[in-house]
Amino acid sequence: MSHQVLSTLAESQSLYLDPAIRDWVLIPIMIVMVLVGVFRDQITVLLSGGTKKATLKAIRESKVLMRGAALRSYGNHIPPLSFLNRKNYLTNAYKKGDYLKNPASMNQTVNPMTDPQGMEMMMEGMKKNIAMIIPQTIIMGWINFFFSGFVLIKLPFPLTLRFKSMLQRGVETPDMDVTWVSSLSWYFLNLFGLRSIFTLLLGEDNAADGMREMTAMSQMTASPTGQPQDFHKLHLAESENLELTPHSWELNDIEHRLLTRYGKREQQKIIDSTENVIESNEKNAIEAASASSYSEHKGKSRRKSGKH
Amino acid sequence: MSPFYYKTAIETLQELRKSGERNPELVVTLGEKLIYEGYTGKLGDEVWSVYEQVFIAALDYRNDALAKTCLERLEKRFPKSPRVKILNGMKLEAEDKLDEALELYDEILKNDDSNIATIKRRIAVFKAKGQDQRAIEALTQYLDAFYNDAETWLELSSLYLNYHLYQQAGFCLEELILLQPQNHLYHLKYAEILYTNDNINNINLALKEFCRVLELFSDLNSLASERLSKVYSLDSKNKVGNSNNELRQIIRDWLNESDKSY
Repeated sequence: MSHQVLSTLAESQSLYLDPAIRDWVLIPIMIVMVLVGVFRDQITVLLSGGTKKATLKAIRESKVLMRGAALRSYGNHIPPLSFLNRKNYLTNAYKKGDYLKNPASMNQTVNPMTDPQGMEMMMEGMKKNIAMIIPQTIIMGWINFFFSGFVLIKLPFPLTLRFKSMLQRGVETPDMDVTWVSSLSWYFLNLFGLRSIFTLLLGEDNAADGMREMTAMSQMTASPTGQPQDFHKLHLAESENLELTPHSWELNDIEHRLLTRYGKREQQKIIDSTENVIESNEKNAIEAASASSYSEHKGKSRRKSGKH
Repeated sequence: MSPFYYKTAIETLQELRKSGERNPELVVTLGEKLIYEGYTGKLGDEVWSVYEQVFIAALDYRNDALAKTCLERLEKRFPKSPRVKILNGMKLEAEDKLDEALELYDEILKNDDSNIATIKRRIAVFKAKGQDQRAIEALTQYLDAFYNDAETWLELSSLYLNYHLYQQAGFCLEELILLQPQNHLYHLKYAEILYTNDNINNINLALKEFCRVLELFSDLNSLASERLSKVYSLDSKNKVGNSNNELRQIIRDWLNESDKSY
């Protein structure tokens, strides 16, 4: 068995490749791949024709979601009453659809075919896909037609058998050493490996690389793009999130924290005196907020009576 | 005079662009050398942003000839760009043709209503015309969409403060705190606004906010500690009953102590 393997290895190593293969197949495939990449980059620039800017209303529609999220995460830094006001305002606005691009379409499911912007987005995606698929199929056909069935190079390092299907596509020989690379596989190696060369030639943000488009495509199948998001649903979800957000004010025990920090108070004492604060934190947020505003009012009236 | 090194000049301009610092004198002197002595070829594609920068600085510095050269070259290269149109508008503003500038900005916004630079220039025109009411309207409209623009919230709050609208200004500062909760300057400004808006509720809030400032930025000589000790000593004179009285006493003592130690 081992003898057999050795003999095939020896045979493959003695394989002699015509230098004409290098000059007329290996290098031309690479050059064509690079040129097609550059061409594709130019085509996408031409087809996309400048980035389409979002309208003010569209920005407003999506930014208000972020505003809600910001209020949820940092709301503890503002006083309870201010938090409550913002919360009420935003939840109401979300529910009524005040921030929607087009409030009339609140209850309809959005049909991408009727929405001109959705249509445009779909066309954009199609254009990009076409710019990617057409050159690729053409080159693959070209390689298959002219150069199928022979090997081009030998890799200078050993590989395991698993790589056989990757490196010797189109050459159905069970015994040949894995390090030999067939023409079709050379095409794929180029397709995947030319990214850094494109960055060198065309700069960081180019459309020459086929791989990025491929990954974009696989994502596309997962979630249909071109389908505009239903912002009303997102707004309703955000309003629910906001309603469930409790508010525990950062500044409730600020005096104690400050004094502990400067060593004017012991930790233990603070826990005793802030007990009521902690208790109110455990309660429902709205209750806490209303309670504190109530106590503020009480303090106010007391102060007033004191003044009189 | 030291010889002119165009490379350092270009770098300085770059840094100024990045930091957004407004130093028209420096920019104009460097820009004049670069543009009139033929170094523009050395700049490559960067030359257009340098033209823009030098143009704005020249307007600031009343160097009309330089501004004209810059604008002409930019218009020749980008005839339809809204960015160059805005520069045109700024030139009109500098010549005190505010209504014409306003018309130009309105026209840009008709085609592209989310052009932030234009929206801001339009607000600046309102301010220059003294129509603060319209400026406030435009600012609120802008902030309704771009709520995360901290500078604009500050601008709006200062406009409100001009009219002693403390509650509204406080709202702006609350928004700023939501955007950058760890920035002690916003807390300080918020506290000052609350403190100015004299009402016992607000004073309590202001005290807490001053404490917060001291927690975030522990400089005991700062405005915040000064205010705290002042308010607390006032309170003791009025003898106002409060559950936090003991605490206040301690804070007062502590601040007095640290005052003496300085």
